[in-house]
Amino acid sequence: MFIGTEKLSHIYMPGTPYATKALEEVSFSLDRGDFALLIGPSGSGKSTLIQHLNGLLKPSGGKVIFEDRELGSDSVDLLALRKRIGLVFQMAEEHFFSETVYDEVAFAPRNLGLDEVKVEQNVKLALERVGLEWEVVHDRHPFQLSSGQKRLVALAAVLSLQPEVLILDEPTAGLDPGGRLHLFALLKSLNQQAGLTVLVCTHHMDEVADLADSVLVLNRGKVIMSGPAHDIFARRQEFNKLGLSLPEVTEVMHCLAAAGLPARTDIYSLEQARAEINSLKRRLEK
Amino acid sequence: MSRSITLGQYMPGESLIHQLNPRVKILALLMMLAVMFIVQTFYALIFLLLFAVLLLASSGVPFSYFLRGIRPILYIALFALVIYFFFTRGGVVLLRIGFITVESDGVREGLFVVTRLVALVLYSLLLTLTTTPLSLTHGMGYFLKPLKYIGLPTDEVAMIMSIALRFIPTLMEESQRLMRAQLSRGADFESGSIFRKAKSLVPLIVPLFISAFRRADELALAMEARGFRLGARRTRLHEDIIAPRDWAVLVFVAATLAAALVLNI
Ligand SMILES: Nc1ncnc2c1ncn2[C@@H]1O[C@H](COP(=O)(O)OP(=O)(O)O)[C@@H](O)[C@H]1O
Ligand SMILES: [Mg+2]
Repeated sequence: MFIGTEKLSHIYMPGTPYATKALEEVSFSLDRGDFALLIGPSGSGKSTLIQHLNGLLKPSGGKVIFEDRELGSDSVDLLALRKRIGLVFQMAEEHFFSETVYDEVAFAPRNLGLDEVKVEQNVKLALERVGLEWEVVHDRHPFQLSSGQKRLVALAAVLSLQPEVLILDEPTAGLDPGGRLHLFALLKSLNQQAGLTVLVCTHHMDEVADLADSVLVLNRGKVIMSGPAHDIFARRQEFNKLGLSLPEVTEVMHCLAAAGLPARTDIYSLEQARAEINSLKRRLEK
Repeated sequence: MSRSITLGQYMPGESLIHQLNPRVKILALLMMLAVMFIVQTFYALIFLLLFAVLLLASSGVPFSYFLRGIRPILYIALFALVIYFFFTRGGVVLLRIGFITVESDGVREGLFVVTRLVALVLYSLLLTLTTTPLSLTHGMGYFLKPLKYIGLPTDEVAMIMSIALRFIPTLMEESQRLMRAQLSRGADFESGSIFRKAKSLVPLIVPLFISAFRRADELALAMEARGFRLGARRTRLHEDIIAPRDWAVLVFVAATLAAALVLNI
């Protein structure tokens, strides 16, 4: 197991009348290089779960495992851990505090104690990886950027740690469709070219579904489905019951199939849908 | 998620005491406190203390919360006991070690003062443990109303107080989330000199201020959009009604206090 949990439970404010069971015996594991989705309605414990993965929250029960070692055993140094497991919070651009994009992105590598030459290299690489041009953005005020650009800076501000695992909490919340597409294309290349292990929390599956290798579905703090993406997405009824929806194109294919057409329903992206509909047309014309 | 961090000590519950009108609770507390200072006999005091315990039990708040509330005053109580025991003269000598003597009047008065202190705190805890900070503010705003006639904007002050109370938990939660967010970017809030520590707070304080100002702005807009005007008369969603049971409780409390005063003779 590269990274995962075993029977992880978390209770907020234990021992008070406000105690909330946010996670109950959650177990999952990812292999190096995986692209995984964490799906669940809001309040299901997604954010709580991922904050355990880099030691921000302490388990109330069970364990978090990274490279076959349990987190929280003294041998694991938290700063070193957070360098390797990058976590991008939801609406992370609201956590900006610097006067230039450069300083914002440099915050993390400076915290690692790198010298300024190395810091600048990291910042350059991070900005390049998210597709922002150094000349254009590095000395601008982060608040002058568009919301899509801010989100990219927030991503760069974690990539500058040069992590091996990248975890993102609802990375597309509040972005326009263009911004969403760009972000997911980026995550795909980070996963496939740069070899990062990626875990994305979301309840908006439209552009991300066909990127995922594996899927974990949470509801009320419990794992209710987990496994390879195509197996999980085949369980459409259960999804709808949870108030979650499959990608819109998948729903369209299901409608076609329901209308009696021999259409495949394991279609998660626009391109696949286009190809399938074209082939369907050809098959029907024969 | 305003329930996540509680301000003050409010413990949610369904008891009669929880449901009383806050004005009635405040008035009852004031009456209790007044009588507490009037009584001079142990009988009356013990009676009031027992009454407090009875009310605590009926509030359904776990007893441990009252004990926790009393803990801070234990040192004061201990200190008072020592002073009274060793320095108040009168009555028979109970103990004499060298030049230290303890006399019966001192013991009596010491115990009396400490019992009174404990009872006072218990009654106050009873109010704060069963009333949300918001209703407390409303209740107190009512008693401050007369100050309006000498030109103090009591309604506005009450509004400011309740908004502040409403947002303190939000801001606290936000600061915790921010802290975790910056921690995951490698921030370190603990080690280093005082100067370094102060500097390490910048990544918390700047975003917190920005969001607080944005929130305030949005809130002002939303309030104006819903017709809030300074100086206008407002009605409330949950009308501040003194129900029959509130009257009943007031009468009951008054009767109990009268009984205490009789015991005092
Ligand atoms: N800081 C906190 N204090 C108390 N309860 C919390 C806190 N954060 C989350 N919760 C509770 O834990 C549960 C899971 O929340 P969360 O992990 O944020 O879910 P999600 O990210 O899936 O929306 C919710 O019921 C939420 O109210
Ligand atoms: Mg969340």
